[in-house]
This record gives sequence, structure tokens and C-alpha cells, in this order.
Amino acid sequence: MSELDRRDFLKIVGLSAGAAAAAGCSDPADKLIPYVIQPEEITPGIAVMYASTCQECSAACGLHVKTREGRPIKLEGNPEHPINQGRLCARGQAGIGRTYHPDRIEGPAQRSGDGSLQALTWDDAKNKLAAKLGSAASKTWILGGTVGPSLDGLLDGFAKAAGIGGRLSYDSFGQQALIAASQSVFGVAAAPIFDVSDADLVIDFGSDFLDTGVSPTEHAGQLAKSRDMNAHADGGARLISIGPRQNLTASNADIWVPAAAGSEGLLALALAKAVAKKTGSNIASSAISGADIGKAVSAAGIERASFDRVAEKIASAHHAVALPPGIAAATTAGAGAAAAVLLLNAVIGALGHQLKYPASDARPVSSLKDVLALIGEMKAGNVDCLLIHDLNPVYSLPASAGFKEALAKVDLVVSFASLIDETSEVSNLLLPDHTSMERWGDANPRPGVRSIVQPTIRPLFDTQALGDTLLSVARAMGGGVADGLPAGSWKSVVEANWSDTNWRQALARGGVFEATPTRDVSVSSDAAYLRPSAPRLQGGGAFTVIAFPHSYYGDGRGAALPWMQEIPDPVTKLSWNSWAEISLKKAKEMGVVFGDVIKIETESGSIEISAFPRGGVRDDVVAIPIGQGHTVGHYASMAGDDQPGVARGANVAAILPAAHDEAGGQAFLSTSAKVSKAGRFRRLALSQWTDNQRKRGLAQEVSIHDLTKGGMAHFAAVANASEDSGHGEAAAGGHHFEGPPFEFDPKNDAEPGQPYRWGMTIDNDKCTGCSACIAACYIENNGVIVGELEAIRHREMNWIRIERYVGEGNDDVREDSERRPTPDGEILGHAEVRHLPMLCQHCGAAPCEAVCPVIATYHSPEGINGMTYNRCVGTRYCANNCVYKVRRFNYFDYGRLNWPGLLGLMLNPDVTVRNQGVMEKCSFCSQRIEAARQPAKDEGREIGDGEVVTACQQACPSDAITFGNYREESSSVSTLARQGEDRAYHALQELNTRPAVTYLAQVRREKNEGVH
Amino acid sequence: MAPPPASAVADAMNAPARPRDSQTNVDIMAVTKGFHWPWLLAFLFAVAGVLMALGALIYETYYGLGVAGYQAPVFWGVYIITFVFWIGIGHAGTLISAILFLFRAKWRNAINRGAETMTVFAVLTAALFPLIHIGRLWKFYFLLPYPNQRYLWVNFKSPLLWDVFAINTYLTISVLFFIVGLIPDIAVARDRAVGWKKAIYTIVAAGWQGTGKQWKAHNRAVLHLSGIATPLVLSVHSIVSWDFAMSIVPGWHATIFAPYFVAGAIFGGFAMVLVVMIPVRRIFRLERYITDYHFENMARFILFTSLICGYAYGAEYFIAWYSGVEPEQTSFWQRAFGPYWFSTWCMIIFNVVMPQLLWIKKLRTNIPFLFVLSFFINLGMWFERYVIIITSLSREYVPAAWGLYIPSTVELIVLSGSFCWFSMFFLLFLKIFPIIAISEVKELEIHARDHAQAQAQGGAH
Amino acid sequence: MTTLVSVYDLPSDVSTVVRKLKSRGFEDLTTYSPAPFEEIEEAEDPKPSAVRLFTLIGGLTGVVTGFGIQIWMSMDWPIKIAGKNIAAIPPMWIIGFELTILFGGILTVLGLVILGGLYPRSLDEHYSPRFSAEEFGVVVRCEERDVAEVESLMRDNNAKEVTLAASH
Repeated sequence: MSELDRRDFLKIVGLSAGAAAAAGCSDPADKLIPYVIQPEEITPGIAVMYASTCQECSAACGLHVKTREGRPIKLEGNPEHPINQGRLCARGQAGIGRTYHPDRIEGPAQRSGDGSLQALTWDDAKNKLAAKLGSAASKTWILGGTVGPSLDGLLDGFAKAAGIGGRLSYDSFGQQALIAASQSVFGVAAAPIFDVSDADLVIDFGSDFLDTGVSPTEHAGQLAKSRDMNAHADGGARLISIGPRQNLTASNADIWVPAAAGSEGLLALALAKAVAKKTGSNIASSAISGADIGKAVSAAGIERASFDRVAEKIASAHHAVALPPGIAAATTAGAGAAAAVLLLNAVIGALGHQLKYPASDARPVSSLKDVLALIGEMKAGNVDCLLIHDLNPVYSLPASAGFKEALAKVDLVVSFASLIDETSEVSNLLLPDHTSMERWGDANPRPGVRSIVQPTIRPLFDTQALGDTLLSVARAMGGGVADGLPAGSWKSVVEANWSDTNWRQALARGGVFEATPTRDVSVSSDAAYLRPSAPRLQGGGAFTVIAFPHSYYGDGRGAALPWMQEIPDPVTKLSWNSWAEISLKKAKEMGVVFGDVIKIETESGSIEISAFPRGGVRDDVVAIPIGQGHTVGHYASMAGDDQPGVARGANVAAILPAAHDEAGGQAFLSTSAKVSKAGRFRRLALSQWTDNQRKRGLAQEVSIHDLTKGGMAHFAAVANASEDSGHGEAAAGGHHFEGPPFEFDPKNDAEPGQPYRWGMTIDNDKCTGCSACIAACYIENNGVIVGELEAIRHREMNWIRIERYVGEGNDDVREDSERRPTPDGEILGHAEVRHLPMLCQHCGAAPCEAVCPVIATYHSPEGINGMTYNRCVGTRYCANNCVYKVRRFNYFDYGRLNWPGLLGLMLNPDVTVRNQGVMEKCSFCSQRIEAARQPAKDEGREIGDGEVVTACQQACPSDAITFGNYREESSSVSTLARQGEDRAYHALQELNTRPAVTYLAQVRREKNEGVH
Repeated sequence: MAPPPASAVADAMNAPARPRDSQTNVDIMAVTKGFHWPWLLAFLFAVAGVLMALGALIYETYYGLGVAGYQAPVFWGVYIITFVFWIGIGHAGTLISAILFLFRAKWRNAINRGAETMTVFAVLTAALFPLIHIGRLWKFYFLLPYPNQRYLWVNFKSPLLWDVFAINTYLTISVLFFIVGLIPDIAVARDRAVGWKKAIYTIVAAGWQGTGKQWKAHNRAVLHLSGIATPLVLSVHSIVSWDFAMSIVPGWHATIFAPYFVAGAIFGGFAMVLVVMIPVRRIFRLERYITDYHFENMARFILFTSLICGYAYGAEYFIAWYSGVEPEQTSFWQRAFGPYWFSTWCMIIFNVVMPQLLWIKKLRTNIPFLFVLSFFINLGMWFERYVIIITSLSREYVPAAWGLYIPSTVELIVLSGSFCWFSMFFLLFLKIFPIIAISEVKELEIHARDHAQAQAQGGAH
Repeated sequence: MTTLVSVYDLPSDVSTVVRKLKSRGFEDLTTYSPAPFEEIEEAEDPKPSAVRLFTLIGGLTGVVTGFGIQIWMSMDWPIKIAGKNIAAIPPMWIIGFELTILFGGILTVLGLVILGGLYPRSLDEHYSPRFSAEEFGVVVRCEERDVAEVESLMRDNNAKEVTLAASH
């Protein structure tokens, strides 16, 4: 009887929680309708997880889609998946937003002459397309992005059956150069697989593998493993980054060599020569013997000393690996550079260890060259109908390629986009695809790893999976076109492709994961590409344009996701716009300060963009992120700020030439530019005032020497470390350390009788600043997206942020007196960036609690600094008194205003949507603690270690965050804090707030010698 | 039964001579009678301002505090500044009435009514701002320890709650003190009024007839009220200062704050008395009662308190430097030379430098100069709070979370509205009640006459 | 009984008259004065006023209430705040003090109302506006046989007028 009551109670709770969330975002008139017949697998209030695959980038990480009452509310990494092993990057987290996005195309439509859209039924739509194909199949082309094997097969099948003129599957970040280089150096037409998890030295030739590389989440995890202080007393792997711009990888590097853009190839060969001499490598190659170290060094514009230093490091390393240039360093000689780096790997003996080749060749992907050919055809009027799927060429192709103009010559342009974009805006026929949350599909990131995409929500709009559309069109065409294609639905096609596996099991696990079969390769010593040619730069001008990819935007599709706009860029801490990075020196010369608009002119075009002067770029480059500057979309463009059609920032594609490397892949590093002041000022949303931590020891550092000497109190270590980084005696500054930080005042920090004192350990040494935790927090806790105007006024609502400091900073009181943010501490060639994840520290003696007149914030018996929204009157005293500045105030009724489209449907029912005028902050994911409490209670035990995983911890690719119970001696938090005692500290310890968050200081593995 | 003596009978025959009224009564009550253009204009202006502020307030309450200039990390702004400002103003009256009463400084009699009036309405204005400031105006009653079914009480450890009690106490006591002092004068008004005014006065006058019994109780009550109002007035601004001093914010967390704030309050309060009373005296021709002598004494006080303020400013900077605590030092450097330098220098020049001119007797007794100076002092005192609140908050412990704050139009409208609100009440009071304490003035006059008489008789003998 | 109303210009005269009348056993008298004069109060009633008692009681009630409600409410809703004790005494002094003042003040005024006999049903028969101008009044009730004596005493001390009110 009572049992029954409890069940009913739970149902009601679950439903009303859902309703509460729904009421938060949609018309309050909505009615709460309980299930009449309740689906078997759904218990209201209990989340159901489905395994799926992330479709945001080509890495294809495994997902666990968390659904509540049939709605996906959060994405988490699939622990069984070999790629991401349970982690998920920021963009992957944000991907869930596509399904509920205000930009969704709600059904098939046709564009009439005046540009307006008329809705169609699917039948009319497919008949239209079928008719067109019937008449002009041969003059029809399919232009798409890279898709999973099943869809790829179906597209090919369809193209063949319907007699389509041609099909391109294009990825602007494709690896043509690398594959071609492999072909040339090792005779293997495949992209190598890098594994840095057991390396002891990683040399990054601008691949930015931690942020925008082939598989960032995977590699970040591997690097964290190879540098884990608890596993490697000597500090583990060293990371050397080579490139003109301090990207995220360089920010985490031990040594940063700011070599000139495009000099990677020469440097690699020169290094190979120097190392070979030292190690006496047996690889005989004229390329190596022919390399001229002096020329390379001067071409790279670095000092000989730093070259020798790198060479020395490599020679003395046992498991070194070199990563080939990435997008930002893709020149017209890209294949040559890649080949050189591959050869270097051979020389240092990474082959077969840190660098493996899969047994099978890569699926061919069309290159920019192919696309240019298509454009030629279009211009020649040989293309009558163009089907565009999973790609936004109008935006992402270099404007100088003239795709948009050519498109005008095409009679029928069909877009399968599920969100409106620049391409769909100029298409005649819209056949919207499902989002990856609604459709079937699969992915095959590498041989042996097959991953399933499965629908987790009934389609929200009148859309249709691309597969089904193709099939139905084929059938509508008649004339036996359909015979060449599988009968049945798209789902059955996918299932058929998986017929060789246990489908249900694969579904449950998210795919079939086997070790990648590899093959041994040998160097063909005199490969064609090993004649290093200097990259061609179009046009003149003092600056080399570096168009670098951004982990948030990808090729531009990420810009549509609100979180990707709101979360500050990990390197510059800018959000909601694009920017141009120029060196402090050049900025001074031109009289440009942060926010001044500068004009960047190349032969291909010109853009105006706000300048971001920083020390982290060479004087001869101007660096611009790829992916902003959309003119369409609620968030991607300014439409959300009531300026429809106005671009958000500038699209760097507008100034890039349609240049490509030897293998046809797009060369992003291909032009130089003239830079001049535009005379305007446009304030950017810079979330961080300064990168000078004024020796306040917020982000502390320990030098490896002191650690290995061992057992010394950490503040002394910090002092020495800072001497290493050449700053005199630093943040020892008043951080008098009494006792190990993981011991708390038992009387006050949590109730004496309590088994729990929840706490967290954050290993700054592992944190790369990638900001996945921020995205996870936003989505888990219904965080609010405030938009650019509010972000400029520092009204972000994030519960966790990552502060980025450079070195110890200086405590000169006169610093930073400007009215404008001035993050200018970086020094070219210095690798001393420190990332500090900052969230509510849940202090034992919390300054915020004492001052709240109504006890809206208080200390829970389990040591959590609680926040009672309903009790808060909004005096904001707590926010003033919070020394960590982690409290957020609801300036407006975001609950009502903040979720356009159906975004409100993805709110987490377990977390309150906050009201106008109340404070909010990190709750240590108390809803997750409660979720773990009930089962523990049922089994009459305490919550065990690792049963509560906070959202940020779950997401972190490098496992920097650990959450648990400090009262439990054996818990991982206690253990970590104890193990890392030499590194453990509390932020602003001298204020004696007794935080529950223990930081493990970053380790400085190499001295900054300041040479470059 | 013996017949009454003839003389008495004679007196009883001819009616007693009509009572001649005292000049004092006539002069002072004249303010409440008749029609003054300046008054009407000022009053209409004030009402308009109040209505505007009301509109701004409704707008803000509906859309949220986002329409104000707040941005992290500066979560307090113009509203709290103005709150502290008005509370400060509200100290002069009680100080003059209570403390000077205890010191038997008789020169206060002419100005204390004006000062008290100012006090009451200043506190009335100040008390609004904590409410205007909070994020959920409609939930303000959460701040009171009222019985409720969920047994939620308030946090007695929070300085803000101390404020709630301190301000309400101060408001109550100063109003009582004010009314007690007013009663005998209203009796005067009652005896000379007709019609509805008489009705009102009769109620307020509480049947006062100046019998010995009444005067005895009255004197006692005034003495005791002064006795308890004196520590109160000192405590209230100390508690307001603890809103800051009890926090951990660099630039706030200082032991000097209580005396510093009290001195500042007296300083600003006296200046405000001058700003208010100089025009009143001019417009209503009260020179006979409020003489330059009074203003000069006020000026002396201002000079004295300005020196205390100057000392406090200096001490703050010295301690910041002497402490060797970098966040503290940075905070103060940024005050003087950071983005908000202008507010700091306004504060120092208006509050410390300019008042030094009062050493010169010529200027001290120059009424127009006093008026202008007092005006600038009030400006300076507003900026003092601006400096303390805004600059400290904008430069705290986490450099990454530094920021700036620029007041929004809404806030400025409400700010000016607060002055109109104050003026509105003050002007109304002028027209209804005597702005000078009649009985206390008479006390002095009659005493003088009595003294003269005694002298004369002494001479005769 | 008869009532004699006399009017004076100076407080000193009033105090003398009052003192003399009292010394002759005329206790039933009332003085009216436009402003407070201690010599008159002294002459009329040398005992200290009982208002002080009201103030004292008020203050004591206030301090007790102040600490009382704070301790009780803290205990009634016991929540750990900033690692401090549930009912931490030091901060309570402030509100304790404020309530002392508040209650003390209110009761003082109450004392004034009661002891000063404010809010009478009607004004005294012999009160006149001239007493709220600049003149003083002394009203004595005496046996008719004493009228002459009282009147002469008044006139000897500069009474401007002496009026014989209607006798009852």
C-alpha cells in the first residue's frame, strides 16, 4: 500500500518537475497531461540514457544522450567509446541545441521568385525533385559534407541509380595533404593515428591537437595521461609547440617556439637532420642530408639557441612524436610540410608506436580542387540542379572561388539543411533533414571503430531523414531507378549495413568497438613531396593572414549554437564575435588598442574586424578565427539582437584566395594582407579584465625541480617556480599555508555527525582550458545565455569559468588602471599560461552566507553552500562579499525570455529555472547528489566514492576535476589532495574562507628561457 | 457671608483687555499663511520629479534591475550611495536638537526645528532606497522577522538586518522627538487658527495649554529623548558603515569606518541645513530669528567635521599602504588614479580643501558663500560614498573578475527623484507647521526681559 | 469656592506668587506659561518628574526583547552560517541596543502623555490664547473669605489683572 503511494508520489513529482521546467520557457497556459498509457521504459523523473554518436565534427565521439520524459536534455560521453572514453568537448555538449534550435526549418518549402518561401507537402516536394532529376539527372550534382558510411553508400547508390552527373563529399578541414604525404613517404593512402598517451615528448607543428586537431577530446585525454603527476614523478611528457600564434596547445606547452608561419616543413627537416646526427638514425634520405639548418632557422625567424634546445630535447627523448601541421598551418606546400614531419617521426622512431597506420586506406574525400572544378562546371552552365547536404558552401568556401555567383546559374538548388544557413537562403527547394538527435545513422571514425547514431526524440517538425528523402525521390522517379536501391526505410538501410553485428547489443553500447588493425610501414627515402618548397603567399602586405580554426565553430556550423557564442574563447577569452589578433608591438605602431576596428585587405577581398592586440602572436601575422561572420541565424548572425541579416563579426573566407596544396586540400595559410585602422571602435565581449594575477597566487605553479626534490611545502615551491619563470620571488605573496588543505574544520564546514563533506579537487596541471566543463554546466544547470550586449557588460551567467593568467603577474599597484580590459601579459615564445577553473568554492566560512539578511544562502549539513532562490530578495550583498566572484544575479526574467524556439524543451527538470532578481551560483550539482542518495538509501548504505559525478567533471577531457566526499579517507578527492600535497592549495587561502575546492598547482616542467 | 472686595468687583465689571499677541507668534506663523510664488514653483517642480521617479521605478521593477547600470563585479550602485547619503543628512537634525540640547547650547533654538524637519524627511527618503535597490521589491517583507507558517526567520548576523532595525528605530525616535517638540507650537497655531485648520491643529496639539504640569513632563521627556537619541544617532551611522566594514572587500574592511562615517554624516548634515535654511530665511524673512550668528556657528562645525573627514581619508590611505596587503593597496591606488579618479578628487576637493576657506571670518559670515560651499560639500559627500562603494567593488581579489560600473538613466532619474521627494515634504511642512521653535525662541526673549527687569529693580533699591 | 485668574508678564513674578500662595496654604492652583521656565516648575512642584521611570522601564524591556527574539529565532530556525555559532552573541548587541533605544523612547513619550495630562476632554475653563502668546497666568481656587488676601498677594507681585471668576 505505502509502496504504491510512493510510486504515485514519484510520478507526480517527476511530471510536475517537467511541467515546472516547461512552464519556465513556454506559455504558462500549457496544461500538465499525465501519461494515459505510460511507455514501458519511461519512469517520470528518472532519466533514460541512449547511446549515440556526436555529429558535430569528424572525430565522431560516442554519446550517452540523457533523456527525460522522452526529451533529450543533455549529452554525455560514452565511457565505452574508444575515441572519447566518456568525455565530451564543449561543442559536442552544445550539439544538443540543434534539435530545439529557433533556426530549425519546420518543413519542406519552395522559394518563389520574390524570395519568399511557400510550404510544401513532402509528396509535392519529392515529386518536384523527382521530375527535375527525371529530366536533367546527368546535369545534376550532389555537393555534401562528409557523412557516415551508410549514408555515404546510399548517396553513391542513389547517384548511380539516378544517373547523377557527379557527387562531391567535401570537408574544408579534410586531411588531403596528410594522406598524400603518407602516400608519398610511406606509400600508404591513409591518415596516421597518433597516440600520445605513452609519449615522453610531443612536438606540435601547429596541429593544435588539443583544441582543433583531428580528435581533440581523445588527444587531450591521452596527453593528460602522459603528463599525470601522480603517475610520472618526472612530470611525464614534455610538450613543444611550434607556430606563429599561441593557440590552446601552445598555451599548454612547456616550450613554445614561435616559428614563422609556413616554416614548419623546413624546420621539421632541419630537426630531423640535427637529431639524426645526434642519434645516428639509420634512415638515409637526401631530404635530410640536404636540409640546411641555418636556412631553416632564419626562415622560421627564431634564434638558433631555441632550435638547438628543441633538437636536444628530441634527441634525448625515448618516445617522442611529432604532429604534422593543422588547418591554421595548411599552406600551398602543405603536403610537403606534412611529409617532412612524417619523416621526422620516422627519424625519432615514433613509427609504429606513437604513430600508427590503419590497415585499410582512408575513404576518399573530395578536395577544394574538386569543388573548384564543380564551380567551373556551374559557371559554364553545365549544372542544372545541385543537391546540397551537410554543408554550407556559400558561407565556408573562399568568396574568391565565386561559388555564390556560380550558384545563380543553377536552375534548381536543393538544400537538405535542418537549420537555416547562408546556403539554404539561396536554395530554391528546401527538404529539411532531421537533426542527429532525430535520425538514424552511423559513423566510422577509424577502422575497427563503428559507431551508431540513433534517434532519441520523435521529430519535432515536419522533417525527413535525408536517407528516406533519397529513397522516396528515387521511387517517385520511377523507371526502375528505385530497383538499384534497397527497399524499405532509411532505418532498415542502416540496420542492413550493421547486419554483420549484434544490432541490439551494438545499439546498447553505441556501436562496435575493436582495436584498430594497423600495418607496418617503411620510409621511401626520396618521396616526391620531400622537396621542401616555400609556401606561396598571394599578394603583398606586411602581415601574413592566419585563418585559424576554432574548436567552437568548426567550419562555421558551430556558430549557430548559443553556448558556442556565449562561452569565452579559451585563448583570448572573447565571446560573441570574431576578432583579429595582432602583436602588441604592431598595435602600438598603428595606434590600435583593443576593440579598434581594423581593415584587412588582400587581393581576394577585405574585411573590417575588431582588433585584439596580444603578446602571443608574431609581429608579422594577423590571426583571425574561422567560423564567425554569418549573415543568417538567430545566434550565428545578429538576428537574435534584432538586426536580421547583419553579420556577427567577419567571415575570414571573404579575404582568402581559393588556393590549395599539392593534394588539392584548401590552403588556409595562403595570403598576406595590408592592415590599416578603420577609425571605428567596436567593443568586444571580453570576459576577463586582465591576465595579470598580480602575484595573488590564484593560479599557482610549482617547478618540477622542487617537486622532485620532494616534500617541500608548496608555497616555497611556488616562490622558486616563479623565479624559474623569471619573476623574482612571487606569489609566495602572503599565502601562508597551515596544514594540508584537505583537512577541514569538522565543527563548522559540515555537521559533525555527517558522513559527507562534499568537495572537489581541480588539477590545474591537467586543465587545458578547453571549456568543456563550462558547456556541460550551462546545459546541466539550465544556465542562461545573455547575448553579446549583456556579455560586454560582464553579465554572463556561467557557474564555472576558466580564468587565464600569464605567469605570476606583477603586483605593481599602478597596473591595469585603464578603463578598458588589458590582457597583455603574454611574451612571444614564453609558455607560462595558467588556466584556473573558477566555480563556487563552497567555503566552510563563506563570506556570502554571513551577510545575507534572509538566509537565502546558507551552509548545508553536508558542507555545500546552498542557495534558496525562493527566499532571495536580491540585495546582492553576497555577490559583493564573495571573494571568488562566482555569484551571478538575474538582472532580467531570463526564465521567461531566454529560450527562443523550442530550446525550453531541453531544460533540466531537476534544476530550478531562476527568477528575476535572485542570485544564483554553482550548487555542486546537488541534483546529482540527490539522484545518488536515493539508491544508496534503499540499500541502506552511504553514497560511495564516484557515485556522484558533477557535470563539469563528467565532461572534462583531461580528467582534471574530481568530486567526492572529503570525510571519506579513501575517497578519490581525499587521496588526490593528499598525494598532491606539495601542489595542493586553496585559492586566496590567506582569507581563511576554508574552500571545499582544492587546487593542485600547475607544474612548470621546463624553464622559460625567453629565447625565440 | 462677607461681600467681595470692591476692587475685584470693579475688575470683574469691565471686561479684561483683549490679549495682544506676541510678535514672535505673528512673524513665525506668517510663514504658514499667505502665498509665496517661489514656494509654489518649488513645490510643483518637486511633485513632477517624484512622479517621474515613480514611473522609472515601476519600469525597473517590471523589467528587472538590468535596466540599472549594475554589472559584475559591481553589484551595488547609485541606490546604495544615495541611501547612505540621505541617512547621513538625517543626522544633523537629531545632533543639533539632542546633543546641543544636552550641552545647553541655546543658539540651537532658532535652527533646531528646521534641522529636525530636515532629519525626519531625509530619513524618510533614505529608508526607501534599500527597498528600491533589492532585486525583488515585492518580497521586501522577507527582511522583517515576521511570524510565518514555515518558521523562517532572518539572519541576525547580517549587517543589512542591523540596518533594518537601526533605521526603523532612528525613524521612530526622531519622529517622536520632532512631534514632542512641536506640540507647544501647534498649541499656538491652534489658538490662532479658524475652521478646518483649527480642527487639525486641535488634534495635533494634544490639548496643550502650557500648564506647569505639562511643562514639567515635557521638559523631562525632551531631556530623556535627547539622552537616548544621542547614542542612537551615533550608532545608526556606525551600523550603516558596518554594511561595508563588516565585509571582506578591500577598501571596505576597515575599523575606521564607524567614526569616519559619523563625522561625515554630521559634516554633510550641517551643510544640508545651510542649503535648506538659507533660502527659507531669505524667502520668509526670518532674519530676526535666524541670525548670521547661527550660520557662523554652523560654519564652525562644518570646518571642524571637515577636518575629521580629511583625517579619515588620510588614515585610510596610510593604513592601506602600511598594511602591505597588495589588494588593499591596489584598491586605493585605483581610487585615486584608476578609472574613477574624478570621483575621488571631487570628494577630496569639495570635502577637505574648500571648507578650509572657513578659517577666514569674512567668508564664514558671508551667507551667499556659505550657501555655495554647502552645496559643493553635499556634492562631495555624495561622491565620497560613490568612491567607497564603486571603486572598491570594481577592484577586488580576482583580477580576472574586475569590471566597471556606469549609472544608467533610470538610476539617475530615481536619484533626482529622491531630492524632489524630500523637498516635497519639506515644503508642505513649511506651509502647515512653524519652521522655528516658537516656545524655545520665546523662552530666550522672556528670559532676557525678566533679567532686564530684575536689573532695573536692583538699580531702584 | 471662588476662582481667581491673574495675569503676569514675567516668569519671576509668577514663581514668587506661586511660592507665596503655597506657603499660605493655597495648594489648589494652576499656572499657564507660553514657554518652559524652570523657576515656575520648581515653585509649583519641586518633586522630580516620574517620566524617568517610564524611560527606564522602556529601556529594560527593549534590551530583554532584543536579545530574546534574536536568541529564540536563531534557535527556532537553526542554520549553520559562515561557520559561526547558531546563536552567536556578539552581533546581537547591535539589535539589542537599537531595541533598547526604541522602547525607551516610545515609553518616554507615553509618560509625557500620561503625566502631562495630554488629550484632556476639553481645555481648561480659564485657559486663554493670551497664555500661548507672551503672558503668564495663575489660577487659584480659594474660599470666598480668602479672596481679598489672595488678590492683594497677586497685585503685590505685579499681576496685570486679577479677575474673579463666577463662583460655584
